[in-house]
Amino acid sequence: MIAPGWDKLQPVIRYTVHSVLLDLHGIRKQFGGVTALRDGNLAVEPGEVHLLLGENGAGKSTLMKIVAGMEHRDAGRMLWQGRDAAFRSPAEAAAAGIAMVHQESLLTPHLTVAENIFLGREERRPFGWVNRRRMIEQASRVIEEHHFPLHADWRVERLSPAGKQLVGICQAIQHGSSLLIFDEPTSSLSGAETEEVFRIVRALCARGMGVIYITHRLEELRAIGGRVTVLRDGATVHTGPLAEVSTDRIIQHMVGREMVSIYRRQPLAPGAELLRVEGLTRRGAFRDISFSLRAGEIVGLAGLIGAGRTETCLAMFGVDPLDAGTIFVDGRPARIASPREAVAAGIALVTEDRQKTGLALRLPIAYNITMANLRAISRLGVIDGRAQGRVADEYIARLRIRASSARQAAGRLSGGNQQKVAIAKWLFRRARVFLFDEPTRGIDVGAKVEVFEVMDELARSGAAVLMVSSEMQELLQVADRILVMRQGRISGELPGRTTQEEIMRFAALEQESAP
Amino acid sequence: MMKRLLPFLSLLVLFVALAIASPHFLTETNLSSVVRQTAVINIMSLGMTLIIIAGGIDLSVGAMLAMCGVLGTLAMQSGMPVPVGILVGLAAGLFWGSVNGFLTTRLRIAPFIVTLGTLGIIRGLTLIITNGLPVTEFPHSFAFLGEGNLLGVPFVLWVVVVCALATHVILEHTRLGRYAFAIGSNPDAAIYAGVPVAFDVTAVYALGGLLTGLAGMIEASRLMTGQPSAGNGYELQAIAAVVIGGGSLHGGEGSVIGTLIGALIMGLLSNGSDLLGISPYLQQAIIGAVIILAVTVDELRKRQGRAEA
Repeated sequence: MIAPGWDKLQPVIRYTVHSVLLDLHGIRKQFGGVTALRDGNLAVEPGEVHLLLGENGAGKSTLMKIVAGMEHRDAGRMLWQGRDAAFRSPAEAAAAGIAMVHQESLLTPHLTVAENIFLGREERRPFGWVNRRRMIEQASRVIEEHHFPLHADWRVERLSPAGKQLVGICQAIQHGSSLLIFDEPTSSLSGAETEEVFRIVRALCARGMGVIYITHRLEELRAIGGRVTVLRDGATVHTGPLAEVSTDRIIQHMVGREMVSIYRRQPLAPGAELLRVEGLTRRGAFRDISFSLRAGEIVGLAGLIGAGRTETCLAMFGVDPLDAGTIFVDGRPARIASPREAVAAGIALVTEDRQKTGLALRLPIAYNITMANLRAISRLGVIDGRAQGRVADEYIARLRIRASSARQAAGRLSGGNQQKVAIAKWLFRRARVFLFDEPTRGIDVGAKVEVFEVMDELARSGAAVLMVSSEMQELLQVADRILVMRQGRISGELPGRTTQEEIMRFAALEQESAP
Repeated sequence: MMKRLLPFLSLLVLFVALAIASPHFLTETNLSSVVRQTAVINIMSLGMTLIIIAGGIDLSVGAMLAMCGVLGTLAMQSGMPVPVGILVGLAAGLFWGSVNGFLTTRLRIAPFIVTLGTLGIIRGLTLIITNGLPVTEFPHSFAFLGEGNLLGVPFVLWVVVVCALATHVILEHTRLGRYAFAIGSNPDAAIYAGVPVAFDVTAVYALGGLLTGLAGMIEASRLMTGQPSAGNGYELQAIAAVVIGGGSLHGGEGSVIGTLIGALIMGLLSNGSDLLGISPYLQQAIIGAVIILAVTVDELRKRQGRAEA
């Protein structure tokens, strides 16, 4: 029965092979002694949005870097449009039609949108002369065709993060890419901007482009994705249509255990007031901010992007000067004009951008953990190397930091583990007031729960915690009470057991209360 | 491991090659003259190592070296004892180093610009003080610093060893050194961690100045003159030594042992060229090529290291 149908079957098989844009089989990649990928498998079809999920360190980025020619695989097979492929550089991958839109787009800030779109691919004319007008015309055509809220002659430095990503997308379209890789495109975007990115992604797919979409925001999966592939510990553990799998099941695939779903903290009775701020004002950023933090408390600070939450934290930590207002530590007014004075007063800030302000990436983990409290392990200015090693090992074990040793450079850790190092620095400093600014940004589910547990532990040991977060769900899970900021002011205070709708009401809507 | 070994191996290969190529190389006279010639750059580059690791740079050390030598010898000329004269030279270095540190941290001007400015100021002031003429009237005993022997080896060798050990200990085992690495690696993270960045950076420049002051006195002792035009271009040699030794101009990277090897490689190249009769013009070109080669090798190694993680 098989034989007669064989010749008819063959073209079908060939067609199937061609209908897969990218096919990865058993991809392996080792870095030194660490296996980043054991068995990476992924098949992307044209016209689909393929979600790539996994905890930090699961190997998603490595796999994508291999696809985009930024890394070379040790073993495994990669088929690109049905043919064996191994890209030796991002340029080769781009020439073959693969483009990556980065979290922080790799753009030249001082050039215009059009110049960035054509950067390195300017039309060749004699003497390196650039035809500006034609370039702007072509860029405008791409922008108009896709209804992007951009202008070809805007300077890129003045664009929002979302706008910069759009420029990255324009580059990919202009250069005729057939596969677009998004690495957490929405992690720094507001709700409306996220919607915009989704709309564009859907439009691109409708034209037959394949999209690989990496995200940590599980709540946005179903708004965008068609199929999903989950990586865990360097291997593909699940792949299939999104419609056939529940979010809880996806989380289980990601963390590999049956736990998770909803972490909920048990609040405890707050103790003495550790920090109080009164009338904090910084012109153009926030006005008349007053609240207090008590020992054992986790207070959430909610609000939309641009509401002034980060700015308030930076001013409380002495980074930016205050125009008015007083900070009381232990009931006494404190002079905090620099981070150094804030640290001396027992305040710690886990910053929003750990790579920029949280860690010295090229230095060992041990150096980073001890950086804020070297005095504790040195005598007469000389550092006790053994004490340093002990401290580092202790915190690596306590926070379950996944590292090969305390001497490993902090920059080589995954995002979640970097965040743990940044937190460990303040644990060792024995700070009493912790300001966490978006502590779970770019961190996978498992590590998020671990960060929550650390915050809970801190509160239980008598510290006060302020947590800034744009993830309302997280605030509801963790905070005892929630302050909401809107346009630089505190617009409301809510109990911890409130709802997202209630938070949104204070964050986004004009309050109709009396003046 | 290769990171530390490669510069050392290059030095070894160079040493052996010179020993084979020239019968005059492995003689006591020649080796001790190499030690004496390289001592000045060696000591200056130790200070430069600290500064570069902290993310800075100091272009004024050459001019500083001249002023320290001139002020120290002037003090001796005016009748002060030799040790006091040396201290005057050291103090001058400490002072100008602190000025550089103060200007970069308090006025927040890029160190390249600040020290380019102080380079001009210091050189100008030195020429004004001396009227452009060398200082020559001081006790003969001062020659011991640069030309004397102690326990059978040049005295300056002991000075270099002590300075190198001290700098190494500061860098690797003290808070000051740790903060220098932190500031050079990520100044914002250091500020946010409560590191006394302004004080530390100033201290690093001051130490660099102090070492330059010492180098200035050694130079004056070797020439037995306080030469207002001394040290021209030495700053670039000191920077080159640090860079050949694996230091990064982006800050956060470098080591004392690396810098010493870097300085010795340059010293041997120049000594070897002399012995082999290679023209001093070509020497400069050779050293320039070696700088580029060393940094290229280092960059390739780092890129490989990054790809591995």
